[in-house]
Amino acid sequence: MPLIRKPPPGNTDSTAPANPAGPCLDALVGGDDNARWNAARAAPDTPEGARALGEALGRERNPRVREAILTSLVRMSTPEGVQAVLPLLRSDDALLRTGALDALRTMGGAVRPYLPPLLHDADADVRLIACELLRQLPGEQATPLLCAILDTETEPNVCASAVEVLAEVGGPEALPVLARCEERFRGIAFLEFSIRTTIDQIRSQVSR
Amino acid sequence: MAEKKRVLVVDDAALVRRYYRDILEHAGFEVDEALNGLEALEKLLAAPVDLLIVDVNMPRMDGFTFVDAVRRQALPLAATPVLITSTEAGPQDFAAARAAGANFYLVKPISREKLGEHATMLCGVSGAGEYGFIRP
Amino acid sequence: MPVFAALTEEEYRRLCDYLYRRTGMVFTETKRYYVERRVVERMTATGSGSFPSYFARLRGNMEGEIERFVNAFTVNETYFYREDHQLQCLSRDLLDDRLRASGRGRSIRIWSVPCSTGEEPYSIAMWLLENWPLVDSCDIEIVGSDIDTAVLELARAGLYGRRALMRLSPYLVEKYFTPQGPETWKILDDLRESVRFTRVNIVEPGETAPHGRFDVIFCRNVLIYFDDASRRVAAENLYANLLPGGYICLGHTESMSRISPLFDVRRFADAIVYQRPPGDAHG
Repeated sequence: MPLIRKPPPGNTDSTAPANPAGPCLDALVGGDDNARWNAARAAPDTPEGARALGEALGRERNPRVREAILTSLVRMSTPEGVQAVLPLLRSDDALLRTGALDALRTMGGAVRPYLPPLLHDADADVRLIACELLRQLPGEQATPLLCAILDTETEPNVCASAVEVLAEVGGPEALPVLARCEERFRGIAFLEFSIRTTIDQIRSQVSR
Repeated sequence: MAEKKRVLVVDDAALVRRYYRDILEHAGFEVDEALNGLEALEKLLAAPVDLLIVDVNMPRMDGFTFVDAVRRQALPLAATPVLITSTEAGPQDFAAARAAGANFYLVKPISREKLGEHATMLCGVSGAGEYGFIRP
Repeated sequence: MPVFAALTEEEYRRLCDYLYRRTGMVFTETKRYYVERRVVERMTATGSGSFPSYFARLRGNMEGEIERFVNAFTVNETYFYREDHQLQCLSRDLLDDRLRASGRGRSIRIWSVPCSTGEEPYSIAMWLLENWPLVDSCDIEIVGSDIDTAVLELARAGLYGRRALMRLSPYLVEKYFTPQGPETWKILDDLRESVRFTRVNIVEPGETAPHGRFDVIFCRNVLIYFDDASRRVAAENLYANLLPGGYICLGHTESMSRISPLFDVRRFADAIVYQRPPGDAHG
C-alpha cells in the first residue's frame, strides 16, 4: 500500500518552516526574503518585537514579507503597532494602502483612539479611510462620529464613505443629519441615491 | 431579442454596487457583483462577462492588481473590457490604470448618464438602448 | 392569515449585506425564511429583545456570537466523501500537477486540518486508492490534525456509524471496513495506521510549523468561524505549511477573498482551489 506514515519532521528537517522563536530581529531588515519572512513571523514572540516590526514595515519592499509584518502587528494589536501602520494609509501605492487598511480593519479597539484626528485630517483620502475604519467599532461609538462628519464634510466621496458605514450601524438618531446631508448634496446622483436608501432603511426599522 | 450583456461590478461599498446595479439593470444589462478583486477573479474564472467595472480601493486585492491579473489570464478572458472607477483624479492614477491594462477611467461619484453611456460604449453599442447615444 | 415577519425587509437586507461582506455568502429572497428562523433562534438564545440589539451583538462578536451564528447555518456533521468534488479535483488535477512540479521519487504530503473524527483524512486515503491512476507511483503521507484531542482519539480508533458511511457504496464499505456490530464499522487497520493524527491550533505558528510542508492542505469549514484577525493569522500559517506550488482547499461556501491575499486562485474542472505561488520559495 502506497500510504505511508512518517514520524513528525524534527527541527532539522530542511523542508519544515523555521522554528518561529529562532531568528534574530536583525534578520527583519537584513537577510534574504526567506530570512526576513521568518523573522517577521517570529517577532511577536521576541521582546521589542512591535518596535522592530514597525521600523521594518516602512522599509520592506517585498509584498509577502510586508504581509507577514502586518500579520504579526495584527497579532499583537498594540498602540505602537497601530502607529507603525497608520502612515501607510497616505501612500500613493494602492497595494500599500490596501495592506495597511486590511491590517487596521482587524486591530479592533487598538485603532479607536487614533480615529478622531484622522476623521479631520487635511487629506480627504485619509478622512475617507477613517470613516471605513469606524465600521469595526460598536454602533453606539461609530454613529456619533459619523453624524459629526456628515454635518461638516464637504467632500462627496468622504460623505459617501460615512453613509456606507451608517447603512450598517446607523439608528434613528442619524436621520436628521442624513436629511441635512441630502439637501447639501442635491444634484450628485450617487449621494442622493445612497443617502435616500440609507434613510429609508433606517426609517423602516423605526416604524415597527 | 439580443442576449443581455453581462457586467461584473467590483466595489467593496454595498451602496455603490446597488447604485450601479440600479442604473445598469434599467438599461438592460445583466449585473453580477464582487466585493474585491479576489472574489471578482473567482467569478470571472467561472463565467466570462462583457464588461468589468472595477473600483481601486478594495480589501485584499485592489483594482489595479485585479486588472493586471485579468490581463495575464488566457484569452478571451484577458481581453475583457475594463472600466476603472476611483475617487482619485490625478495623472499618476490614470497612468496606473493604463499600466494595469484598463480601458477607461471614471472619477467617482459617477452620474447615471456617465455610467450608462460608458457601459454601453465599452460593451459595444448595439441598437438604440437607453444610453445608445453617447453625448458629446 | 398574515405571517409575522421576524425581520423587516430592511433588517434582512442589512443582515445579508453584513454576511456577504464577512463571508461571501449570498442569501436571496428565496432563502429568507431559512435565515429568519436561524436569526430568531439566536435572538432567543441570546435574550436579544430586538433585531438591532442582536445585530449589535453579532457585529461585536459578543461571547463568540459569530461562531454560534455561522454554526446555525452550516451542516456540521462530517461523513465520508463529503464535498467529493474536491477529492475529484485532487486525483484529476492537483496531484498530477504536484508530481510534475517536483518529480517522482518523493512523498506526496497531504494535510487534513481540522480532521475531526477522521472521516476526511480516511476519505482522502480511500479516494486515492480507488481513483488515482498514479497512486502506486509514489508514497503518500496523510496527516490529520485537530484542536480537539477527544475527536483525535475517536479518529485513531476508526469506528463509524451508518450516517458517516452514507455516501459510500456497499462495495467501498465492504472493501475498507469491517463490521463491529449492528451499527458500527471499523476502518481497515492498514488505513487506520497509515494516517498520523496530531493536535494543532492553526492560529499558533509554533504549533503549525513542526508539521512541515505539504503538497495539498484541506482546511474546510473552520476559517469561516474565525474572526478577521484569527483568519488572517491562520491563513498565513497554512501558507507556511505549503510547498511552493502547493494547494489549499476550503469549504465550498468559503473564499480566500474574505481571508487572505497570499494565495493565487486556480480554477479546475471540479473545484476552485488556492495555490501558494510556485515561484515563491521563501518561508
